Amino acid sequence: MKRKIISTLIMALAIPAFAQQKPDEPPPRWLQGRSEADAKSTLHPFNPKLTGADISELKMSKLKLPPGFSIDVWAEVPNARSLVRGAKGTIFVSNLAANDVYAIVEKDGKREVKKILKGQTAPNGIAFMDGTLYVAERTQIKKYENIEDRLDNPPEGILVVDGLDPTNGPGHFWKYLAVGPDKKLYFNIGSPQNITIPNYVQATIMRVDPKNGRLERYAEGVRNTVGMDFHPVTKKLWFTEHGRDWLGDDKPSDELNVVSKQGENFGYPFCHQGDIPDPQYGKYASCDQFTPPALNLGAHVAPLGMHFYTGKQFPGEYKNSLFIARHGSWNRNTKQGYDVMRVTLDGKGKVAKYEPFLTGFLENETGDPPMWGRPVDLLVMPDGSMLVSDDYNGIIYRVSYKKPLMTASK
Amino acid sequence: MFSFLKLRNTTPSILGVVFMLLPASHYAANIEAGKAKAQVCVSCHGPAGNSIIPEYPSLSGQPAQAISTALFRFREGNRKNPIMSPFAADLSNADMNNLAAYFASEKRTTAHVTSPQNLNLGPELASKYNCTQCHGPNLQGLQHIPRVAGQQHQYLITQLRGFKAQTRSDIDGNMSSAAANLTDNDIVILSDYIAGLAEKPAP
Repeated sequence: MKRKIISTLIMALAIPAFAQQKPDEPPPRWLQGRSEADAKSTLHPFNPKLTGADISELKMSKLKLPPGFSIDVWAEVPNARSLVRGAKGTIFVSNLAANDVYAIVEKDGKREVKKILKGQTAPNGIAFMDGTLYVAERTQIKKYENIEDRLDNPPEGILVVDGLDPTNGPGHFWKYLAVGPDKKLYFNIGSPQNITIPNYVQATIMRVDPKNGRLERYAEGVRNTVGMDFHPVTKKLWFTEHGRDWLGDDKPSDELNVVSKQGENFGYPFCHQGDIPDPQYGKYASCDQFTPPALNLGAHVAPLGMHFYTGKQFPGEYKNSLFIARHGSWNRNTKQGYDVMRVTLDGKGKVAKYEPFLTGFLENETGDPPMWGRPVDLLVMPDGSMLVSDDYNGIIYRVSYKKPLMTASK
Repeated sequence: MFSFLKLRNTTPSILGVVFMLLPASHYAANIEAGKAKAQVCVSCHGPAGNSIIPEYPSLSGQPAQAISTALFRFREGNRKNPIMSPFAADLSNADMNNLAAYFASEKRTTAHVTSPQNLNLGPELASKYNCTQCHGPNLQGLQHIPRVAGQQHQYLITQLRGFKAQTRSDIDGNMSSAAANLTDNDIVILSDYIAGLAEKPAP
């Protein structure tokens, strides 16, 4: 042993360049799991315009909605990601690639955008409950009490839970945050890689009781979810999930899932889209062990924010419809997504229909970039209109409905 | 840190009007405004953003998003440099977009002449390390990823060494990962080759 140490020391001294070398950086998350056959692929993720687009660059006339609906630009917030509304009407907006949290207030007929938190680490997840804003960063959730009365002088955050990025890996470290009917906070801890065996708290939906900090695993086998909502009637948790990359253009599909009871497993990394065993890990399990998706949403479409429509402005058949923002594919030669879809459920809570709602961000499905905007999250406003965030352009749009005037009869 | 938007009721028929009522500052990134703001930049980054100082990068002909992204990251402290960080600290997002539009619109010049030996060795290394996969055909840059073709030789060496040592800030880990297996000799060869690349590949 001693001899080995000495010889290692000599080697280290003889080759100082080697001795000083840091361990190799793991491949970026998005490259991990790519096969040799794809080694020369030019597919790559797209980065947002961090400084925001100018409004005149937005191709609003390309956007399409069902008859009677319209869309306009509601606010500019760089890298706008998650949206939540405070009890007093403040709209909070989070960042992922940038480091801030914003508040938008309407005063004297003007809409004012304030940066309320700076220097956060991937503060993608935000939630509001009982006067308190909760912010989920890479490793922790903090709370900001009585925030709406202190927007110009926000308090220091108080820690709710930390240690949420257990391996500090390059993977899906950003969080989505939702308030449950039980007043607990639900959030994801994503897989640390594209495809890997996760540790105990990874590839999960966790929940924490902000009153006492108690942390539980709520669902597992979830590669990464960045969109959750509770059904207005059944109160069950529905969530979107991103499937793995580098299995080809058409598989696996991203998923819409529903949790019927705590502890359910949704299959990652063993089984994708309910019926595709993973080429590497599938042999360790069988797809029928896991809860299948409520709906397969399409390969690589990157579903993010999803919300049930609980407003009164849209036509009656939209009540409790589920809207899903699809950020759009990168790991696909012909791009798809970049839209907002509508899911209709039947009386038994099963998916009856899946159809486009807001389209037109995708311009050229083989272009680089293929899109001019990317929907991220949705928020139903008290007047029944719906906000849609776009992190690529740093814009929040508003979708409204007005009953079309009857056309004059001939 | 305030910005104002006019509050408007939504009426589909007047969608276009919304844009007409917005302040002029919301119109497309302004090359002229960028040029005026760039006065201070060009003292280091060279006339029209064509650097003549080995350690300073050229900005001309870069993809606009690459410039605005770099400026944003300097301002936010994701990327730190004792010279650049203070300059970026006071820039607004609109300033950054204007500067980006201006430098993207300027034609780049390349003075560097690659040694005949590295002219042979360079393409093989560039292929081996997948440089064009992200930096685009002929390394002219793509979206937020900068043009490296024709970039200052010494600047390229410094950046690659920084990425390899994991001391250079990296948006998503791509460059640290790409540079991890480079030898220092590879870095010297690649930088010499890339710095001499013209705007269009030789016929």
